[in-house]
Amino acid sequence: MTNQTPEKDLNQVETNPTEQTDPPSLQDLQEEIQAEDNKKRRLLLLLLLLLLLLLACVCGLFYRYLQKPAPLPEMVPLPVEINYPPHYLFSIYGIDQPVGVALSPGQERLYVAESGGERAVKIFDRDGALIGSFLPPRTTPGQRSPVYLDTNQAGRVFVTDRLQHAIFIYDADGIYLDSILGPDLSLSEYVAKHVGTIEPDVTYAYNLFEQDVYFKKGEEQELNFPAPDHESWSPLGIFIDRTGRMLLTDVAKEKNSIRQLPADVTMAVNWQEFNPPTDTFGTFGQGNGQFLFPNAAVPDSQGRVYVTDGNNGRISVLDSQEGFLFHFGQGSGDGALSLPRGATIDEQDRLYVVDAVGQDIKTYDVSGEDPAFLFAFGEWGLDDGQFNYPNDIVTDSTGRLYIADRENNRIQVWSY
Amino acid sequence: MRKLILITMIAMVLAFALVGVASANGGPHGGYTATTDACAGCHRAHTASGAKLLVAADTTALCFTCHGSNATGSVLNVTDGVLEATAGSNAGTALNGGGFGFYNGSATTSSHDTSGAATDAWGNGGGRGVASALAGGASLTCASCHDPHGSSNYRILKTTVNNTTIAVAQVDEGAQTYDSEQWGTGQSNICAACHNDYHITAAGSGSDVAGLAATGGTAHRIGMPWNGDAGTAAYIGMGTANPETSGFGGYTLPLAETGTNDTVECQTCHLPHGTSSAMTGFAASNGSVAGDSVLLRLNNRGVCEVCHQK
Repeated sequence: MTNQTPEKDLNQVETNPTEQTDPPSLQDLQEEIQAEDNKKRRLLLLLLLLLLLLLACVCGLFYRYLQKPAPLPEMVPLPVEINYPPHYLFSIYGIDQPVGVALSPGQERLYVAESGGERAVKIFDRDGALIGSFLPPRTTPGQRSPVYLDTNQAGRVFVTDRLQHAIFIYDADGIYLDSILGPDLSLSEYVAKHVGTIEPDVTYAYNLFEQDVYFKKGEEQELNFPAPDHESWSPLGIFIDRTGRMLLTDVAKEKNSIRQLPADVTMAVNWQEFNPPTDTFGTFGQGNGQFLFPNAAVPDSQGRVYVTDGNNGRISVLDSQEGFLFHFGQGSGDGALSLPRGATIDEQDRLYVVDAVGQDIKTYDVSGEDPAFLFAFGEWGLDDGQFNYPNDIVTDSTGRLYIADRENNRIQVWSY
Repeated sequence: MRKLILITMIAMVLAFALVGVASANGGPHGGYTATTDACAGCHRAHTASGAKLLVAADTTALCFTCHGSNATGSVLNVTDGVLEATAGSNAGTALNGGGFGFYNGSATTSSHDTSGAATDAWGNGGGRGVASALAGGASLTCASCHDPHGSSNYRILKTTVNNTTIAVAQVDEGAQTYDSEQWGTGQSNICAACHNDYHITAAGSGSDVAGLAATGGTAHRIGMPWNGDAGTAAYIGMGTANPETSGFGGYTLPLAETGTNDTVECQTCHLPHGTSSAMTGFAASNGSVAGDSVLLRLNNRGVCEVCHQK
């Protein structure tokens, strides 16, 4: 340092000889200082404007979030790939071995199907407060087994029942409306054949174990009709899209298939005339287009349907035009599945698959031509964020994920 | 540090490589090949959470993931004791082994506890009426009696239970009728592995035989033809109707080696998983197991009547 200083001074003398010989006037100095101050003011003003703009953006985002809560990356479309797992938020308890979850169309209510205890469907609000519960009429716990469920745009709740081999229909508050007993028969249709028009003051029910249809009008004496005859099936997974189209997985013994029912079925005022055309696809087995206990069928934005083919340990992809397209998830490595069960697809075409034995949720990007594994989250355990045989999942537009954590007797809520 | 990273990466690669699919043939209970990828359906080589490298701590919960009340992966619902209906019919049928939670739609009144809690077995070497710990203090799970990988025994029953070698034949090895028995010889052997003190097979044991006094007196014989060995006093008082084909009072009971020897086995009277039979009379308040239906197939002592027809 001491050696450099004289050299620097010398250089300054050599390169700026006029400065020493012709010093600036006071006025020049004042103008220079004034110009410098103006420049600083402009910079500060610009900075202030930027800060105000930023504040306005934050306020705008905050307002938008209040209107429609969503994770920041989804509210601000960034030109980069968002690929990270959600985080654990909280759990909803007071549930006995939950296996199915669904949201109301407004996403303010969560419906949960229990496989233990009373085997009821319970209603919770977004914060996990219990609102109520409901059951299929005239059944005991050992005679009912609600599994998967979904709601239509009118808020009606459709619940598949493994023991009753039926789909029970309720209103948003759990008031029983009707049953779809088979692909070609509803309970109200069967009852109407016996009693004519079904009036508002009647109640009816069918219990497969009792093999008896019960009917009662007002205070009149109860009537019983013989068990109805209809095409056999065993509805399991259920998905209703915004148009009302219903996708079902049917696990009837050695007749596993995927069924599609038109929107008329879910959007009907009542089901007294029930004989919808059903598209059925697939058979029982391990080959392409075959299924072994398919648990869920969910569509993406391209119209493809993703089927969790449980005992084949894979996802089969179907197309309404070509039928079977391909499958993925078998084998080993990233994204390999052990026992896929419930599934859902969010607004970004991310497919979430519950791997019941893998004890986690595997996530795939299905927005492109070929599905791409993104990430898995969760592991076996009893603590927050850990799973013990999870079975179903549903996501809302705010980035929340509700997961039925069966053996931990809770619903886990995750979020981005 | 580089070595540590390398080892971690290798471990991760191996862990991912060992994660695979569950089923090869509609279930993980066999059909393996030399290069099967079915193992990882239930096990993890390096990241297991339960005993025997299982993916979770609770063995029974693993089984119930397919065979539980929702039967989301099987036609066999052992929680409710229901066999999925055959094609063409919706109504399921009662599972021949019974149910752990419900049977015929009603809650069980007795069942084997497969929760994994420490278990004592009645007649397990300490004499009849005495409960003793299983070998090694083992607890009871589904895998105590069944081999999930398949076995040469009937209904994938294990070949060794409670340190006892078991052979349980099946009449038709290809039979998949879980609502009707396919019992061959030795059907009671599976029960005797833990309840051997009740497994009395000596002729005449139903009478006051001095030789049985040491084990607590006489006991119902097991493994004999329903209508007895010709001329033995033990069968005095039997009815004339075959309890399996004709029954009594509208009830029937299954026999082993149907149509040939028609033998009475433990399972003729008892449901191994659980029963919903009601004990309303003497049995409701009697003995050390008051109110316990002791896995009996029929209400009260209906199982006695089906054969003895009094």
